[in-house]
Amino acid sequence: MRTLRALAHRLRGLFRSSPQEADFAAEVESHVALHTDDGIRAGLSYAEARRQALIQLGGAEQTRQAHRERRTLPWLESLLRDLYYGMRTLAKHRGATAIAILSIGLGIGANATIFSIVSRFVLRPAPVGDPTTLLALHITHDGDRCCNNFPYPIYTDVRDQAKSFSGVAAYDELVPASIAGSGEPERVWGQAVSSNFFNVIQLPMVIGRGFTADEERQQAVVLSAGLWRRRFNADPAIVGKTVVLSGHSFTVVGVSPAAFHGIDQIIIAEFWVPLGIEHLLAVGRPDQASREHHWLEVVARLAPGVTRTQAAADLNTLAGRFAIAYPKTDKGGGFVNQQAGSLPQSVWQMVYLFLAALAVVVLLVLAIAGANVASLLFAQAAARQREMAVRLALGATRARLRRQVLVESLQIGIAGGALGVLLSLGATRGLATFHIPAPIPLDVSLAIDWRVLIYSFALSVSSGLLLGLAPAWAASRPLLANALKGEDALARPGRRITLRNLLVIAQISMSVVLLCVTGLFLRSLQSAAAIDIGFRTDNLLLMSVDPRVHGYTPERTVIWLTQLEQHVASLPGVQSAVVTDSPPLSGGGRSDGFRIPGSPDTAESYVNTDLFMVNPGYFETLGIPRIAGNDFGSESATGPKAAIVNEEFVKDILGGKNPIGMQVTGGGSTFQVIGVVGNVKSRTLGEDTRPVLYRSLMQSVADDPAFMGYTLVVHTAGNPAPLSEAVRRQIHDLDPTMAVFNEETMEQHIRTAFFLPRLAATLFGTFGFIGLVLASVGLYGVMSYSVSRRLREIGIRMALGAKPGSVERLVLRQGLLLTLIAVALGWPAAWMLAKLASSFLYGIQPHDALTFALVPPFLAVIALAACYIPARRAASIDPMQALRTE
Amino acid sequence: MGDKTDVWQGTLALMVLRTLETMGSQHGYGLARRIEQTSGDLLQLNYGTLYPALLKLEQEGFIRSSWGVSENNRKAKFYELTKAGHRQVKKAAAEWEQTTNILARFMTPAEES
Repeated sequence: MRTLRALAHRLRGLFRSSPQEADFAAEVESHVALHTDDGIRAGLSYAEARRQALIQLGGAEQTRQAHRERRTLPWLESLLRDLYYGMRTLAKHRGATAIAILSIGLGIGANATIFSIVSRFVLRPAPVGDPTTLLALHITHDGDRCCNNFPYPIYTDVRDQAKSFSGVAAYDELVPASIAGSGEPERVWGQAVSSNFFNVIQLPMVIGRGFTADEERQQAVVLSAGLWRRRFNADPAIVGKTVVLSGHSFTVVGVSPAAFHGIDQIIIAEFWVPLGIEHLLAVGRPDQASREHHWLEVVARLAPGVTRTQAAADLNTLAGRFAIAYPKTDKGGGFVNQQAGSLPQSVWQMVYLFLAALAVVVLLVLAIAGANVASLLFAQAAARQREMAVRLALGATRARLRRQVLVESLQIGIAGGALGVLLSLGATRGLATFHIPAPIPLDVSLAIDWRVLIYSFALSVSSGLLLGLAPAWAASRPLLANALKGEDALARPGRRITLRNLLVIAQISMSVVLLCVTGLFLRSLQSAAAIDIGFRTDNLLLMSVDPRVHGYTPERTVIWLTQLEQHVASLPGVQSAVVTDSPPLSGGGRSDGFRIPGSPDTAESYVNTDLFMVNPGYFETLGIPRIAGNDFGSESATGPKAAIVNEEFVKDILGGKNPIGMQVTGGGSTFQVIGVVGNVKSRTLGEDTRPVLYRSLMQSVADDPAFMGYTLVVHTAGNPAPLSEAVRRQIHDLDPTMAVFNEETMEQHIRTAFFLPRLAATLFGTFGFIGLVLASVGLYGVMSYSVSRRLREIGIRMALGAKPGSVERLVLRQGLLLTLIAVALGWPAAWMLAKLASSFLYGIQPHDALTFALVPPFLAVIALAACYIPARRAASIDPMQALRTE
Repeated sequence: MGDKTDVWQGTLALMVLRTLETMGSQHGYGLARRIEQTSGDLLQLNYGTLYPALLKLEQEGFIRSSWGVSENNRKAKFYELTKAGHRQVKKAAAEWEQTTNILARFMTPAEES
């Protein structure tokens, strides 16, 4: 306590030194005067008495110094002086400082941006109460690593029998509904949850409460804060009121906090209803008694004091017990658990690999930037060797000089870090404009949160210190004699390869790696753009509706959709209009295993096939070539089921035989093939061609309704965008309450499908460009420094008759030699690293010949340009001037 | 600056506190003379070292200072104990006594073994 108080005084002393200084000077003066008085009284002369007094005091200046050291914090004071001095030095070399800060800023900005992705998707805990004890459970089969959802009975068994958990809740991740209220009707997504859900995840409500145990089958609803605000004007008295979801009345019991839109943090769920009444909103949900249908997500709250390992052991025991009790369904089953709210295990590996590749790249960028800064600091150290030597000669310790240089590099690091955070603020905003191809609303927003700030700060401090280390060491050991004479005191005699040359070699070889990776991703984007997707992309308008959530029966749905087709097709400017369940390249959709009836009924004989529902005229509207057989048209809703398949289906499943008239089974139905059409990219751009089976929409709506609604595809004569208003009006003419969603042109839809190659090309392209700029700045810096060091030598050469051209070549040769060494080192490294990127490339090999052939000469040209200015300067030296300098 | 100075400053602080307790308000020079006298002139005090010690005590809140006029009409800065200072004298004196007692046991020849 006393020490703290003293510390506070001393801190204050730091800033108010002059009055205290004067005060103490007066006190010393009075002390000496009093002592002198005594001496005179004892018979000494005034001069002698004063001399004695000063001797016994130990010197007035020494006393003042001792007092000053006690009054303030000497180390802090000298640190502040270093800071101030450092700032002055940095400000004096404005250009160099700006380049250094910009370099570090770009490096740290790149890292902060990538880390904000990591922070958002990997580190951020679920927005629930005590996220560390909330586990997400999944079912595995036969030792598979991952993983399946729960059937309802297994959920209840785990809930009732597992002793490790204080509560286990289940939910169905996606339930569609149309919501009425103020304004146009809107389709929203929610979740159906077991009544204990909000208790298990311990979510405090903004108003109202979660569900109670007896509400399992009540028409109750919890609204998200967003929906509450958007549709109900944040009505504070909403609890107890009735809202209408898909034509059914629900009583609002609570509003969830704004940060919560589902446990997994990506899907945006906006309402929650009890699992027991889910059938009101979502048809075709599995029977709750079925132990075979895996459809529920399960979260479990660890009981106090139970660890994850104990819980896993407990679940293992249960799995063994279930396997004996229900051998048909549960044999070979097991459970895995993970922290609730972490990325789903199915995408883990892909995401981690992508982030790891990005992390490597941004660290390379930072390293290149760091080399620039170290290089600049070396140059400054060289320029200041005289100052350093003088300070050493005057008695400064080497440690003091080292600290001075370190403080400067630390200042650069921190300023760069601040700039980097600003840059990444912009970058994360830019990244948020990328749309993930998915038919449901996803929250992939990025933000600079506290984790990113801490990371950036740590990164800037450590890079500041690390970069300053070598220059600080060099600066503190000038060859004294040389330095005071004004000669080069840092270049140790007999050393030809300088540290700066090594730095620039490292820099260029890293940018070789970076450029190769960038080249690969740009080529990947280029080849993705050239992928034949198999259907028309221009002059198509897409608009989705979901009559089912408005209470339409299947029969009415089909009639309504057909009516809509006719009305829209008769609009001026429209060539044709057709309804499908989902347009191709939507990221995923319905699929099932298919086989020829009569072939052995084993798992291997089923070929996974993508399923689409279409109305007659679909293939003409999308420009998909019809190869054999007929289009739909003459089927009846209840008649034998007809199918049109693509060429890949014929090849994979029908063995290339003439398919017309053949039977295929899959998904519990048998279809007769009536036609063959061309291949399309069905889910993603990067996929290998998949077998596709088109069903008649009319024959499918009843048994297997589309989960995501139906999409109207309109083929227009010209630009489709202006027609959207007219089409929308047609929809509302037919049903004014119908919610319209996913309205876009096919070109927009395809652009979204380019998400991955575009994102990768943008990120790697940006980082590659930054790396290249930084490396060329570094090369330029080293070359111009080298020229300035060699002024005298060059002057002598020219005085002895060297031509400007040959001097120019001398400098260029030196720069190119460095580049050559760097490329020789970096190229094989890039070759090896390219394999890592292979799973993200479209249509090109990781060892793409063009990329690897073009990068070295491209880099050489850039290097030549970077060396050209210093070379010109060297060539334009006036020998007389150069020899007279110094 | 080794341990010696610390020990010395520690004892110096106690001497200062104790002297201020017995004499009341006093200026630096007077304190220095008084400490020398009390030690029976056995202690050769470098007067300059007194001031950092005084400053430390003042920062710690045991003493306070104010400008005044000395007996022979010189301006001087006078130091006096604060309340905390009074308590500190008692505490430090007790500690010192204990320390010397313990040390004394080591210094006296062993009586039984």
